[in-house]
Amino acid sequence: MSDGPADPRPPAHWPTAPQPGAPGTAGQGWPGHGWPGPPGVAPPPRAEPRQRLHPLSPALHGAKSLVVVIAGLSWSTLSRVGFGWFAAMAAVLALGATVLAVISWYNTGYHIVGRELRVHEGLIWRRTRAIPLERLQAVEVVRPLLAQLTGLAELRLEVVGGGKTEAPLAYLGVAEAAALRKRLLAVAGRPPEAVAPTAGQAAAPAPAGRRLHTVRNADLLVSQLLTPQAFLLPFGVAFVVTQFLSQGSWSFIAVASTLTAMAGVLLQPVRRVLDDWGFRLDRDGDTLRVRNGLLETRVQTVPLHRVQTVGITWPLLWRMRSWLRLRLEVAGYSAAEPDDRNRPDRLLPVGDLRTGELVVAAVLPGVRLTALPLTPPPRRARWLRPLSRSAIGAGLDDRVFAARSGVLTRQLAIVPYARIQSVRVTQGPAQRRLRLATVHADTAGGAGVSAHDRDLAEAWELAAELTARAHAARRADEDPHA
Amino acid sequence: MNGDDLAGPPSAPAGPLEPWPDTVRWQPISPDLIWVELIRLGVLLAVLLIGLGLGWAFSGQWLFGAALGVVVLLAGWRAATIVRAVHAWGYAEREHDLLVRHGLLVRRLSIVPYSRMQFVDVSAGPLERAFDLATVQLHTAAAASDARVPGLRPAEAARLRDRLTALGEDRAEGL
Repeated sequence: MSDGPADPRPPAHWPTAPQPGAPGTAGQGWPGHGWPGPPGVAPPPRAEPRQRLHPLSPALHGAKSLVVVIAGLSWSTLSRVGFGWFAAMAAVLALGATVLAVISWYNTGYHIVGRELRVHEGLIWRRTRAIPLERLQAVEVVRPLLAQLTGLAELRLEVVGGGKTEAPLAYLGVAEAAALRKRLLAVAGRPPEAVAPTAGQAAAPAPAGRRLHTVRNADLLVSQLLTPQAFLLPFGVAFVVTQFLSQGSWSFIAVASTLTAMAGVLLQPVRRVLDDWGFRLDRDGDTLRVRNGLLETRVQTVPLHRVQTVGITWPLLWRMRSWLRLRLEVAGYSAAEPDDRNRPDRLLPVGDLRTGELVVAAVLPGVRLTALPLTPPPRRARWLRPLSRSAIGAGLDDRVFAARSGVLTRQLAIVPYARIQSVRVTQGPAQRRLRLATVHADTAGGAGVSAHDRDLAEAWELAAELTARAHAARRADEDPHA
Repeated sequence: MNGDDLAGPPSAPAGPLEPWPDTVRWQPISPDLIWVELIRLGVLLAVLLIGLGLGWAFSGQWLFGAALGVVVLLAGWRAATIVRAVHAWGYAEREHDLLVRHGLLVRRLSIVPYSRMQFVDVSAGPLERAFDLATVQLHTAAAASDARVPGLRPAEAARLRDRLTALGEDRAEGL
């Protein structure tokens, strides 16, 4: 499902109107002001004028590219050409990028037509992306530091079928972004009841709805100190310092490179702290709102019925505080984006069991984290998993399928029956000897949930039961729809 | 791997690959796929043999000869398993879902509800076309689902495709 360029793949029955941005029609003028609608055919149901992004956005893009340029030129270039030339090169490149950003801003527009969002862009290669809002999985409002200073925000949409984040609208005014998010979610179906009347004109995206949980920043700091990277860093520093002392070479490049490498190691915990700073979780009608970030604030809005799986992790070093971490998988954030920074799947960066239970119950109504009926595989599975047999387990709850695994880092994955895409049963050669089999429940986005090494008869039963329950759950889901 | 439970024809009494014998009617795939797979194997083998043979002839290293022998042995073993692997493929259409099973060493059974179908691929490579075969693949929104049925006669592939799309449209659901 990941195929290079991000084209929202419309379903077969989707009526595709001829698109003005198609390469064939690129020759005819596209005046900046009178945005023409699609030529020919009946006008779309609810056309509205195209809107531009915020006029300050090219400046922000230019500033962003300045950082990239400096990083790209790197330390060695700086030491080779001297500071003056370095600054000049960076300035010229950044200026060029800004000019391009202005051109692209001038030619970019978006509007909502019927039930899709259309984004037009490009000067030479015009492109119109029609994003079907039925397939909208989550909306995210991201505000990098510069955007916060200038009162702007970036709007990101997750649409299933796209390998990566669709249509990052960068940048919009904050109020505009909040209003557009509300509209998109409303158009996307199952409009959240609480969203319509209140807030929206307020400068900041005002938190409506019920506060579920706020993570204490002190807890967050401690939790990130309890990671292997932070734990091992003193040893790394000691090693490097002894190296330097014994060799006695203290060139500028060596020190700078060492510092850069050190920063690389620490990057993940530091990023986590920065990203998850001030973590707040709200429930607003049918949607879940996750808000986090220190330098770059993100507000992610996920309709509850879009949650594909919930993962719970108990890292080894966190056990002394009996902390856990919750993750959320939404279709659309695919494996094509391995950078976990751009996969906003956080549900709870750190919390104790009681908090975890509360959040899970809010996200998956009727599920009690501590009362899941998990059973371990039969005793003979210990030949395959001598250490972890008792750590793994799986079970069918009323509305979810859950499986746990892992000895050191314990993990639990929960998938609602209604979100199961397909069920698989696999059996390797060793499992066949022992009459065991593994049952997988596949979901869109995320790795799905697997019950490892179940007794063969039980595995078949599990597969049949999962299929039947998934079917029934989808039926029940459909009824309020129709 | 001793395939005693696979010795019989695929529609034989319930083995571990046939969980619900009373409700599921498994369809075998065309045995012609054996030839397609064998030819593919043969081409690969020929390329490897030529490469290794040239290496042996020019360098005189005995390692190349050993590799040659290993490759031939592996190819022979693979050829023997291809026959049984093709017999192990099967699919069944139930009321709400499609069942596909395959694999000898690692056995897999996929259950894919029609309503979860995103799109259907029908493909036929030159070799498959020469033997009048086609492959139908069902895609869901989950990357992990694998519901691929190779070795279908074109008529059967078209029937399956039409049936799947019809059923999928009937019951399509959001994610």
